[in-house]
Amino acid sequence: MNRRTLLGALAGAAVTVPALSACSSGITSLDGGGTTSGGGGSSKGGITIGTANFTENQVLGYLYAAVLKKAGVKVKVRPNLGTREIVIPALKAGDIDLLPEYQGALLNYLAPKDASAEPGTMQNALTLALPAGLQVLPYSQAADSDCFAVTRATARKYGLVTLADLAKQNGKLVIGAAPEVKKRRVGAVGLKDVYGVEFKEFKSLDSDGPLVKGAMKKGDVDVANLFTTDTDIAANGWVILTDPKNLIPSQHIVPLIADRKADDTVRKALARLGNTLTTAQLTELNSQVDNDKKDPEDVADAYAKQHGLA
Amino acid sequence: MYELFKNLGTWLTSGSQWTGTDGIAHRLAEHLQYSLLATLVAAAIGLPLGLLIGHTGKGAFVAINLASFGRALPTVGLVVLVFLAGGLSMLPVYVALVALAVPAIVTNTYAGMTAVDPDVKDAARGQGMRGHQVLFQVELPLALPLIMTGLRLALIQVVATATIAAYVSFGGLGRYVFDGLAQRDLVQVLGGAVLVAVVAVALDLLLSGLQRFLFRHRTA
Amino acid sequence: MSIDWSWISGHTDDLTSLTVSHLQAALSAVFFGLLISLPLAVVAHRIRPLRGFLLGFSNVLFTIPSIAIFVLLLPVSGLTRTTTVIGLTVYTLVVLLRNTVEGLDSVPAKTKEAAKAMGTRPLRTLLTVELPLALPVIMAGVRIATVMSISLVSVATYIGDGGLGQLFTDGFQRDFPTPVIVGVVLTLLLAVVADALLVALQYVLTPWRRRRA
Repeated sequence: MNRRTLLGALAGAAVTVPALSACSSGITSLDGGGTTSGGGGSSKGGITIGTANFTENQVLGYLYAAVLKKAGVKVKVRPNLGTREIVIPALKAGDIDLLPEYQGALLNYLAPKDASAEPGTMQNALTLALPAGLQVLPYSQAADSDCFAVTRATARKYGLVTLADLAKQNGKLVIGAAPEVKKRRVGAVGLKDVYGVEFKEFKSLDSDGPLVKGAMKKGDVDVANLFTTDTDIAANGWVILTDPKNLIPSQHIVPLIADRKADDTVRKALARLGNTLTTAQLTELNSQVDNDKKDPEDVADAYAKQHGLA
Repeated sequence: MYELFKNLGTWLTSGSQWTGTDGIAHRLAEHLQYSLLATLVAAAIGLPLGLLIGHTGKGAFVAINLASFGRALPTVGLVVLVFLAGGLSMLPVYVALVALAVPAIVTNTYAGMTAVDPDVKDAARGQGMRGHQVLFQVELPLALPLIMTGLRLALIQVVATATIAAYVSFGGLGRYVFDGLAQRDLVQVLGGAVLVAVVAVALDLLLSGLQRFLFRHRTA
Repeated sequence: MSIDWSWISGHTDDLTSLTVSHLQAALSAVFFGLLISLPLAVVAHRIRPLRGFLLGFSNVLFTIPSIAIFVLLLPVSGLTRTTTVIGLTVYTLVVLLRNTVEGLDSVPAKTKEAAKAMGTRPLRTLLTVELPLALPVIMAGVRIATVMSISLVSVATYIGDGGLGQLFTDGFQRDFPTPVIVGVVLTLLLAVVADALLVALQYVLTPWRRRRA
């Protein structure tokens, strides 16, 4: 374990200086864009795209793959690697090169105290918070937020409209979410700090997957952590609790990439995708995978072709 | 590495870690419940099967090959399959654990039965013992050491594998492993792993102690 | 729960590469397991006091959940094939070590004495007399370790590897049984074929046992 951290530190030290200069130009010259080129990166040797363990992230990973292939980059997708907590260290270590991320969640992971809320300032905050060797590219217009939902019956029974209402039922409600959400700010930690919510129990389930949705349907949990791009929320008539204190940050999709692979080819291809893909379209693509049982790869390829991206 | 083990010490000894739904005491009890119930069910299936095959000598080829086939069954796949077929309950976990334990029990029971000296069986029959008397009064006692070996092996594997319950939202010590993976909290993962290993070793020692107690007259 | 046959025909390439990757992980583990077990078994066979310790240690390793081993290896080898292979190798040790020690034990003392009397050096005796005679028991261990590894590879799907195991997480996330069924069936087939090949290999490697039959 020591050898790996040492290697990481050495690699980090080697690129610290150019990365810092890149950061400053990114902040001054762009409103909400990504960092500019730090030079030195090349996608010639091919890019390995990693994705986290939920549907949408696979879809995004394969979308990245489709547009990069079109740009002549050799790509390999490694689906379902795990949570952000697992995948980002793997990116730092070089096991993967590129990752579809979400602005707010990523910033919370890197700098839990940062209060940026607007996409442009978040992008700058991300650039500052990222460890040496990693950078974010311009964010997409599509966004997918975490949300906390309850069934209509639960909402009525406890009079739940906002996240703040949960605090009136402290010690009574069970929340279901992926295990990592227990320790995350957009999760049990932030709900307690910002809204003073304390649950009776935290049930470790999955990221907007069959476990958490199944538990919600069966009534095993009262509150579920879901994603706003999931059509099942509307289909089941579940109610998303509003967030008056802005605990949940803006969640535009943003490519997180290792400096060593970030060149203009990659930047341009991903920027085009980012400007094309809308939240509604992404929601539709997710549904094709989850409900129509289509492969994320096929869904992504079809979308890219249809929109002239591949 | 040193840091990890030092933190493990803190994790294991802090009082708050032991209480509540996610406390070690509760998770330990769940883990024992899953493991013991699964092993009991597996024994209820595997023992009669192994005894029958061993006693009659029929179907041995099929049973032994099926057992080695069973060993190849991927636990994760089986859990997911039963989950998709029947929905969320402990059933997928129990099916997978029983499927894991039965082969070890059947093969060892059968091996124990075939190891019984044929002359001894002939002698028993010569004294006018019936089939079931030979089985229960002669073969079974002689085959018992190997049968116990099979049960112990099955139990160890089940205890280690019962971790999978946490994958489909249930408890047990696997909760620490899966939560620790999701949170990249290696101390929690190590804590869970160490507790599972301790439970497995403790149960194994208990069974081997029981075995020695049962056969004390024989060695004397 | 019905099978979507068109999914299977549309994914033959993926299924092939997953199967190959699955087999590669399992076989690498058995290979490295043997590489570690053989010298350790010789030590355990010759030096009695170490025997209990080595066998006991491998038994304890066996009680640790495989998923935990994979996760604990993350700081060392990351989300790579190496992590999978190291984790699986640990599990092969318990079977391979025990069987190799038992195999060496089963070589009659007289045979070893005869070799010694003929002036054969200890290392040569080990390689040309003891190991070949121990081969049937070692091969029995190799067969069990191979089947076990093939079944265990899929656990590595939790760290993004796992060969055919990826079909399990995929099917689980989308509530789609077909990939799961295909994954289970292919895993079983792989185990049966690998086991049959090992039986054949043993037949080739131990010609002296054939004459007896």
